[in-house]
Amino acid sequence: MSQPGSLRKTDVTLTINGKSYTRQVEPRRLLVDFIRHDVGLKATHIGCEHGVCGACTVRIDGRTARSCLHFAVALQGAEIETLEGLSADGRLAGLQKAFHDAHGLQCGYCTPGVLLTAEEFLSENPGPSEQEIRAALSNNLCRCTGYVNIVKAIANAARDRDKTKADPAGGSRP
Amino acid sequence: MIAPGHPRSIGKHVPRREDPYLLRGEGRFLDDIAEPKDTLFLSFAMSPHAHARILAIRTDAARALPGVVDVYTAEDMARLVKPIRTVIEIQGYRASSRTVLAQGEVRFVGEHVAVVVAEDPYIAQDAAELIEVDYEPLPAAVRLEEADSETAPLVHEDIPRNVMFEAAFASPDFQSAFQSAETIVSETFRTGRVAGVPLEPRGCLALLDHVADSLLFYTSTQIPHLARTALSEILDFPEPRIRVVTPEVGGGFGTKAQFYTEEVVTAALALNLRRPIKWVQDRREELLTSIHARDHIYRLEAAIDAQGRIKALRTDLTTNAGAYSSYPFGCTLEATGGARMIVGPYDIRNYAFRTRAIATHTCPSGAYRGVAQPSCFMAIEGLMDRIGRKLGIDPATVRQRNLIRNEQLPYTNVLGVRYDTGSYEECLRRALERIDYWNFRKQQAEARDDDEVLRGIGICCFTEVAGAGSGGWRVRGLTKVPGFDSASIKVEPTGKVTLLVSQAAAGQGHLTTFAQVLADYLGVKVEDVFVSEGDTGTAPYGTNTFASRGAVAAGGAVIKAAQSLRQKIARIAAFLLDVDVERVELTESKAIDKENPEKSVDFRQVAQIAYSMTSVALPQGESFGLEVVEMYDPPLATWPNAVHAVVVAVDRRTAKVSIEKYVVVHDSGRLINPMIVDGQIHGGIVQGIGEALMEQIVYDEDGQMLNANLLDYLMPMALDVPRIDISHIETPSIDALGGFKGVGEGGVIGAVPAVTNAVADALAKTGANINRLPLRPSYLLREMRRQQAGMDGDRQ
Repeated sequence: MSQPGSLRKTDVTLTINGKSYTRQVEPRRLLVDFIRHDVGLKATHIGCEHGVCGACTVRIDGRTARSCLHFAVALQGAEIETLEGLSADGRLAGLQKAFHDAHGLQCGYCTPGVLLTAEEFLSENPGPSEQEIRAALSNNLCRCTGYVNIVKAIANAARDRDKTKADPAGGSRP
Repeated sequence: MIAPGHPRSIGKHVPRREDPYLLRGEGRFLDDIAEPKDTLFLSFAMSPHAHARILAIRTDAARALPGVVDVYTAEDMARLVKPIRTVIEIQGYRASSRTVLAQGEVRFVGEHVAVVVAEDPYIAQDAAELIEVDYEPLPAAVRLEEADSETAPLVHEDIPRNVMFEAAFASPDFQSAFQSAETIVSETFRTGRVAGVPLEPRGCLALLDHVADSLLFYTSTQIPHLARTALSEILDFPEPRIRVVTPEVGGGFGTKAQFYTEEVVTAALALNLRRPIKWVQDRREELLTSIHARDHIYRLEAAIDAQGRIKALRTDLTTNAGAYSSYPFGCTLEATGGARMIVGPYDIRNYAFRTRAIATHTCPSGAYRGVAQPSCFMAIEGLMDRIGRKLGIDPATVRQRNLIRNEQLPYTNVLGVRYDTGSYEECLRRALERIDYWNFRKQQAEARDDDEVLRGIGICCFTEVAGAGSGGWRVRGLTKVPGFDSASIKVEPTGKVTLLVSQAAAGQGHLTTFAQVLADYLGVKVEDVFVSEGDTGTAPYGTNTFASRGAVAAGGAVIKAAQSLRQKIARIAAFLLDVDVERVELTESKAIDKENPEKSVDFRQVAQIAYSMTSVALPQGESFGLEVVEMYDPPLATWPNAVHAVVVAVDRRTAKVSIEKYVVVHDSGRLINPMIVDGQIHGGIVQGIGEALMEQIVYDEDGQMLNANLLDYLMPMALDVPRIDISHIETPSIDALGGFKGVGEGGVIGAVPAVTNAVADALAKTGANINRLPLRPSYLLREMRRQQAGMDGDRQ
């Protein structure tokens, strides 16, 4: 009987939030474990490990993806972005403010995944309807908020982005 | 006194302090804690059988795997820990004993039979799969209906007929009232089996503090203090040397208000191996082993008069306890809860119940959000609708005729339970208005037979038992649940305030709301208050966070502590201001002379004296420091109430249910933070919609759980959720300090019955009798077709 624990480790190099990380991992190492445990970035959460809940959502080469459904070894050389990166460079500032103002989070466990989904969605759908927001959120399970204030926060963020664009000097506040 | 001019924080939409770090992904959940380099990881081997004798366990292959440190079976663990025995001091209860690893016999699929300790979590899992167990499969009692019989396989040899708990009650005049009534309306309601499914699975990390020879135990729980006491007793390890710390908790919902076997194993192995031990479960384990809930059968009979008033009610309740009595609430919580809460906001003077908890070869059941109340209100509210249909009276009118009237409050119900204040009639009146009830009924009457959808409206009027104090838990025999909570306030030498609370939040925003309460009652600026909880090493003892008790129990403790500390601050301030203490008022972190308001000293100046950090000496007779700890024991219970009203459309062809309108009129007494209150209601409602329409844990006849993953255990997504219209009535509690009544569970309690009644109402004209959950299309179609076939049959 083959023993999976003895699988040979290989060097995997991923760029995460603009920084290159090389780690020796087994071929079966999940991307989310690479990010969380090999690199130590803990904003990306694990909720189901089978691709349903969306808590582990990250960006791989610019597109959102579930990091529990990818093996790190298969992504050699890929550009990964996590909440830490998007938060640090200010890309999420509008959404983060909107979630804070609208009480769009409770326990906060699903929140990193929700924010990444919302960011990608709004960048492609600047003026979404409520129904479109709800459809986009089909990517993510939340057990606390009933989605009510998540939907509201995303709608508010979209509206504020719009205002910022119309009046770049004035920003989102009067 | 707090100055009248002190800007009030209670009642305000204060944005949460928890948000900024959570929104940056910096919340430290259990698995985010950086474990020491020498940490070992656990993986459990689980039973594939619902019921089997363990003949042999071979661990050689697992032990031989490089990276494996050790493998433990029940015999090994028996040397380290005692079995878990949930003591409940109530008549009719038979305690089950549970070893932390199954000994000799397994009683549900997923029960742990062995545990691997390894240097890496992947290796631990590999090794767990290499453990070979010889089982002799035995007949299993899986479904509640099967287990509840003379001939059913026994789950525990010493629990005859699988009855883990039984109790009965009859009010003095019940028999005569029941027999003299004109009409009897009866129905059997069957609820589904669901689970809390917090998005963060359970886990724990045990570290040894070698200097003090003590245990530092991180665990994703709602009950750190109760867990510490339980650990001490089960490990036989001194409680002062255990510190339990709750990190950020990714949802609890009662699932994490239980103390679990894995917590014992993790702590015991850390002490035994003298190494840090970490265990984090995956989703499959979470669904197989975290408590399940509901799975009840209610048989109701109401004796009614011609106006639809209930003259006497009889409940026969059977609940599924699962294989073991969970800790600390045991198998009695749902059985007593459902039978006792069902009278709700109704003026029912004659009542009798029989209630039982039946052991089955399934995962233990426990305290999921709302406990028995979503089920018992589904039953009584379903019965209200049936009374209406039977008599040709609108179901809203039936409710109006049965509700406790305002002038009857405070009201002592037929079980001797006091409702201090409430707004039962007003909530219903407003809910009917907001959902445009009578117009809906008019339009519904005009609906055509060839419409593509059937529309229905459902109502749920309910009271919720919340904030129970020691009396409430004693009544139910739950002696491991203290009932009080506590708060410790320290005005630090710099004048800023530390508030330690005996709670452990899982998303409820305690760091914000308790700061609001303290701000108002101490006269301190809300931004000067720092709140901390969930660490038994710092926070005072208490009952922790479940059963909608945070605001009531800990809120009361904060008020009590503030009142006591205020006096000392005022005395020292009076000395500094050279006025009588009666003239001192506290406001915005200052003490002012109210007859001369420009004269004031701030908290820092007062603290400097109290801590002897200034040239002015402490006044004679005062003690040093500005600290106080107070315990608060709330009343037997507080009684939030609400009405949910729902309009649904059911597709005739597919039986898909769409919720078109959702109205809530809620009264949970005085609101601390309306934004957070609404968030609690939203979340509860959506869990209730899930429970009513889609969620169900499915065991096959052999006791295999068929949907232990989130693809198959369906929970509501954003598209399943309607707009929710919430309005509030605030009738403060007069029995509880602060007037708060608690709000954690109301959403789910109201949603399950209201949605169920709306669907049943929509289908009523097809003749379908909807009385079981969940309301999946397959079930609804079957009931509609059964009626159709019946009608076709009649015609032939």
